[in-house]
Amino acid sequence: MEQPDPLIHQPVRLKIMAALKALPVGELIEFVRLKAIVAATEGNLGAHITTLEDAGYVVVEKDFVAKRPRTRMMLSKQGRRAYDDYLDYLREIIALSES
Amino acid sequence: MSLSSEEAAKSLSQAEEARKRSSELYFYHRSSPHLILWGTIWVIGYGGTGLFPSYSDYLWDALVVIGVACGFWVSRCRGSTTGPKAWRLVALAAIIIFFVSATYSIMRPHFAAQFCAYPALITGSVYMAIGLWSGLRYVVTGAAVVALTLAGFYFIDPHLYLFWMAAVGGGSMILAGLWFRTV
Repeated sequence: MEQPDPLIHQPVRLKIMAALKALPVGELIEFVRLKAIVAATEGNLGAHITTLEDAGYVVVEKDFVAKRPRTRMMLSKQGRRAYDDYLDYLREIIALSES
Repeated sequence: MSLSSEEAAKSLSQAEEARKRSSELYFYHRSSPHLILWGTIWVIGYGGTGLFPSYSDYLWDALVVIGVACGFWVSRCRGSTTGPKAWRLVALAAIIIFFVSATYSIMRPHFAAQFCAYPALITGSVYMAIGLWSGLRYVVTGAAVVALTLAGFYFIDPHLYLFWMAAVGGGSMILAGLWFRTV
């Protein structure tokens, strides 16, 4: 059996990936909404997003709306594939233990 | 690194919880402008009917067309209606309008208040049903619309019922739309 992806195999990052995967392809989510879903502090969430962005799993877009900064993000194609592989890995472990 | 099946199950459960919450908030956010739009249409429609009863048919015909067109436009601007999905929204609106009109034709309500209350009761009930799958906020909104519609029907002076529906029915939908915009 393969090893789990260490970038996703962390509770906060797993939640981030799951929350982003739930959105339609190309749909961005705002940082504040993601923070509410993941229930992490701003600094903690920011650090994990940077890790995922550096890995190429997450695309981050920053802009201004009515002079206020806005940070939005979405899963990259690579991130979607990595997340699917990670879930397959988890399901495989459960299936093996049941057989 | 190896995981036990319990750890794997726990991780799957956490992922599923985050997915569900994300989908729910996404749906709220997407439907928010539509609630505000139709709440505004209710305010204008019921208020206008109360002020100019003889023009109510023309007013509602125009408002429904405007509502469907604006709803279509809002969805398109936000990228949620491309291809066949766009036609589903228009088809859904047509089905609801057909259902309400057909029921009026068969049941033939006797009082103006019955004409006013019926679409609101249908709308509130549909919202509650949607909420069973899509989130508690829809259930609360639908229950509020139904409760306020019935409260007005039974306890408000019939001459004031249209204005009650404009203020309370339309107002509650606008408030719900604003609530849906919050995180």
